[in-house]
Amino acid sequence: MAIINANQTPARAAPISETSILGWLHKNLFSSAFNALLTFFMLYIIYQTVSGVLTWGLFNATFVAENRRECFDNSLTGACWAGVIDWFDNIFYGRYPREEIWRIDFGGLLLALWMAPMWIPRVKGKILVGVSVVTFYPFLAGYLFSGGDKGIFMQVMVAGAIVAFAINMANVVTGLTKNMALNAFLVQMLGQSKSSGKTRRNILLLLATVAFVVAFVWQMGWNVEGVSWTKWGGLFLTMVISGIGIASALPGGILLALGRRSKLPIIRVLSTGFIEVFRSVPLITVLFMATTMFPLFMPEGVVLNKPVQVIIAVVLFNACYMAETVRAGLQAIPKGQAEGAHTIGLGYWGAMGLIIMPQALKHMIPNIVGSFIGLLKDTTLVSIIGLFDLLGMLTSISKDVPWLGLHKEPLIFGAILFFILCFAMSKYSRHLEVKLSSDHKG
Amino acid sequence: MNDTQTKGQLASARSSDVMIEIADMNKWYDQFHVLKNINLTVHTGERLVICGPSGSGKSTLIRCINALEEHQEGDIIVDGIRLGKNLKNLDHIRTEVGMVFQNFNLFPHLTILENLTMGPIWVRKKSKADAIETAMMYLERVKIPEQADKYPGQLSGGQQQRVAIARSLCMRPKIMLFDEPTSALDPEMIKEVLDVMVDLADTGMTMIVVTHEMGFAKTIADEAIFMAEGDIVERNNPVAFFDHPEHERTRQFLSQIL
Repeated sequence: MAIINANQTPARAAPISETSILGWLHKNLFSSAFNALLTFFMLYIIYQTVSGVLTWGLFNATFVAENRRECFDNSLTGACWAGVIDWFDNIFYGRYPREEIWRIDFGGLLLALWMAPMWIPRVKGKILVGVSVVTFYPFLAGYLFSGGDKGIFMQVMVAGAIVAFAINMANVVTGLTKNMALNAFLVQMLGQSKSSGKTRRNILLLLATVAFVVAFVWQMGWNVEGVSWTKWGGLFLTMVISGIGIASALPGGILLALGRRSKLPIIRVLSTGFIEVFRSVPLITVLFMATTMFPLFMPEGVVLNKPVQVIIAVVLFNACYMAETVRAGLQAIPKGQAEGAHTIGLGYWGAMGLIIMPQALKHMIPNIVGSFIGLLKDTTLVSIIGLFDLLGMLTSISKDVPWLGLHKEPLIFGAILFFILCFAMSKYSRHLEVKLSSDHKG
Repeated sequence: MNDTQTKGQLASARSSDVMIEIADMNKWYDQFHVLKNINLTVHTGERLVICGPSGSGKSTLIRCINALEEHQEGDIIVDGIRLGKNLKNLDHIRTEVGMVFQNFNLFPHLTILENLTMGPIWVRKKSKADAIETAMMYLERVKIPEQADKYPGQLSGGQQQRVAIARSLCMRPKIMLFDEPTSALDPEMIKEVLDVMVDLADTGMTMIVVTHEMGFAKTIADEAIFMAEGDIVERNNPVAFFDHPEHERTRQFLSQIL
């Protein structure tokens, strides 16, 4: 005879040991006498540390003082943050002329505004946003930061940047209000939604050209004073070097990785050689080489300034590391994906760009962001070759007469700054990972 | 039996034009001679089934037809175009030849609909709306239009394989190649895929199918081929092929898969 359970067993609430705070405490912290002892011991250590840090850094600390002597007069057992606060401008902007600092802030604001649409779901054409930032922003920012005379090339790029930025912002507005892309909106406005794709494209091109001419004439009117690179420094310089490094290391790494996997022997050997050489040398060596050797190879009269040399070195070095990360990601994608792409007629670049690379990049996010974090921290090495980046500025506080010997506080402040930057990147990468993996699987 | 024979004759009668012509073709993997002096002609609308033990070169043969593999000697002429190292031919051939794999090879990072519209949009340069319309039509035809917005990982094997067939059809190919399309499927899913393929055969598509599904082969095929160790050992109409194999190797092999 079959055994049948006619009554459905009702669900009961979980026992109290599973749900209450007391239950959790008992299970995790006080499960035995020894563990309870350990818990108390650790609590004591944590208390000692935290209270020590707070007393030194906050309760007994001096925030306002003219010099280090005053700090000591105020309290011998507390931190002297006054020195760090006094140097804030130097720490963030280096020796950039004080009345020109707005240019750096403005440049940063532009970048933030320009990139913002990438995180707004309703805005269309995110890839174009990214491409326009990478193509135009460096020139606009470059001019903004260094100023001086604009050559004709620079004028064109600056005008292009203004147009690209304006288009981008208009696109955000139409995206948010009308939920459509700017081009679709313009076509509709002009009553051309029925005309052929070619007519529409021509109209849009015409509009863009007009905008470009207007921007070009407009930008001829304004000029900003030249600022020598020797005045660049602090967090600003760190951000410039690592920003350009981060923005170019990934594309460079992708190209090198593809080169290394290429079927063409010359490209493969060159890429492999390049990668292996740069990976086998410490960054500091590459930096020294860049600043002492590059000038020897340059034609007479061409003088690269130091930040440019450093940026080239950082980009090449990190592109080589990135290349290996990308190669690992590419190898994780089954061969069948490329074959599937080929059978629907996609060629090498189509299969790579649409099918393989997007999947590989998704797998690589943790490693890529890991490299980015490394890159940001590695830029502190430039202080060794005489650039005053964030670390350089922080260490020079102790050589400033009023703050002679003030080492600890600036370095702790630097550590906090770096932690914020790196932790934000790490958190963002985690967020990206979760977002992408929840997108693609159910 | 008579029925199938007439069908075969009909096929060759209605379409004397040659779709695929393989002449004295040889292929090596390094020192290993995979395909030995292959000669094969497939006419428009003809359906060919290839069977054979693993390692016999049957997959390699059909992969050569859409140039996923390179052959070293002899000629392969597909739709009037000779396959070679010329890259332009290659892209053209691949748009005319659809292929369905044992492991589906769908793109896991794209939805079903995006999987289907990728080729028409990027290769055929269709507008997005047109591509979606075509894609939905073919999804209807493989009977899973409701899955359009899901990702491949959310579908069963049989559904994935039907999507793969639809993805190839969206390119409107002249030839469809199937590389063991049901071998990776659970038994209850094999039928749904075979049904789709039978429907496709009814539309007059030129098909080359690597499979051991005998019932299916008898229903649709005009001809069956047995390959072993890189040779075409036997070639016959499917009923005779499966019921009275003539070559010893064919007999031995068929007795094992029955």
